[in-house]
Amino acid sequence: METRTVGPLLELNKAVPSFEESGLPPLPFSMKLMPGDCVVVEARSASRATMFADLCCGLVPLEEGAVKFMGLDWAELHDRELNALRGRIGRMTRRPSWPEFLNTHLAITLQQLHHTNRPLDEVVAEAARLGELFGLPGLPVLPPSRLSDVDLLRAGCVRAFMGRPRLLLLEDPLEASPVDLLNPFLSAITEARDRGAGVIWLVRGNAVWQGYRQGITSLWRLADDGLVEVRTA
Amino acid sequence: MSGTNEPREPGGELDPILAADAASHPHHGQKFALRLWVYEKLGLVGRLTRRQIRFFLIMLGASWGVIFESFRTHSWRRTVRFEFGATLNSVVGGGMVATLFAGTLTGVAAVSQTIYWLGLAGMTKMTGTILVDVVIREIAPILVGMLLLGRNGMLSVTELGLLTTGGEIRSMQAQGLDPFLLLVMPRTLAFTVGGFTLGILFSFAALLTGYVISRISGVVTNPVWTFFYDVITAMSRADYLVIPLKFIAVGFVVGLGGCLTGLTATNEDNLRTLLPRGFSRGMLIVMAVSVLFSLDL
Repeated sequence: METRTVGPLLELNKAVPSFEESGLPPLPFSMKLMPGDCVVVEARSASRATMFADLCCGLVPLEEGAVKFMGLDWAELHDRELNALRGRIGRMTRRPSWPEFLNTHLAITLQQLHHTNRPLDEVVAEAARLGELFGLPGLPVLPPSRLSDVDLLRAGCVRAFMGRPRLLLLEDPLEASPVDLLNPFLSAITEARDRGAGVIWLVRGNAVWQGYRQGITSLWRLADDGLVEVRTA
Repeated sequence: MSGTNEPREPGGELDPILAADAASHPHHGQKFALRLWVYEKLGLVGRLTRRQIRFFLIMLGASWGVIFESFRTHSWRRTVRFEFGATLNSVVGGGMVATLFAGTLTGVAAVSQTIYWLGLAGMTKMTGTILVDVVIREIAPILVGMLLLGRNGMLSVTELGLLTTGGEIRSMQAQGLDPFLLLVMPRTLAFTVGGFTLGILFSFAALLTGYVISRISGVVTNPVWTFFYDVITAMSRADYLVIPLKFIAVGFVVGLGGCLTGLTATNEDNLRTLLPRGFSRGMLIVMAVSVLFSLDL
């Protein structure tokens, strides 16, 4: 599997998602995300935002068109390649994502431990560093059900930014979040973009991302009429 | 006829276009209706058959998948090894006391009684053969399978079922974590190793307890070594293959069946539907394996 290092990081090329599988409007979606870009996608429905993130991950079957990540078409890859490629995506999702049989520290580091050969100490050190950045006292070792919603949100941020992901799919992490999470979150996004990662920031309203307005590459709206680019003033 | 302006109820009358078409071609309409009826009935039979054998086919495919993947070194990543270790610890470590206890009870209830009655009937030489054929080859795999199912199999059903219906499995897939590789394969193999280990422990506990009870009651006067020697020499060559295979197969199918029942849960499922399904499937699987290995052997 050879990935492309130049050109668009993520490319939605007239991709028509399956309505039965996703509930997304069966219309052609077109968008390009270059390395270092930060795209805001406004979606009023949380479930639709999650499905759009799934579409970018190659989890939604297409009626037509293609979705390419790092130059590779999701539809043309085998299971192992698909999973390896998804291992390069950092994601924060509104869907339940904390399996109860794993303690939080394992759930945070699971993706890195599974997809890489990085030494355990290095992975744990990175998780602890990110934990402190996002306001956790360290790496939480309790089961996820025993953490508060805010701490789970912080842990979700740590998990998404672990291992220098090439693409970040962030579903409205700042909604109903504590104020002190804003600056670490924005600095983590900036740092990731400086390394060449692309960011898709899915929001419900336009108030959330105004503080980062100058850093936004483009603004899109996901509604019944599909994915539409919106001009910003 | 009144109410011509009332809205039509869906399906309350025939489609006027199709009705007119059928009226103009009466034979064609009858043929069409007959063909439709046959298709409907065939479809019903097909649906029922598929529903009944769907899980069996999934089991077959997944069994091959587990065996195939387990021989690939690339499959054994540290997360998979961790899951294997954790499940093995839970199956063997957690189930050991219960298995030894069940083996002890079987020794008291079955083994000592067998020794006593065979001695009374003057058939002491048959003791080893009957203990091997009945206790070790037939009773032990079923009881160990039931213990595995109740202690750990149902846990897998619940855990994976709730993860599937809750959406966590989908979230794992979005991170590139294949649930089959990360959960099904290591858990099934851990159950397999656990089934063999617990089966041997159960058999040993049952035989030893039976001997001790018989020795205390004075039915047996031989030393324990002689008793075990008699049992071992009563085993045929096939027994050395079939008995371990039975323990391994029971562990394998209980583990795989539990994981697959959980992973194939739908949004309509909850604990009230998942648990009875998991238990009845598990019991059927254990019995089926036991019967399968007893055929012509």
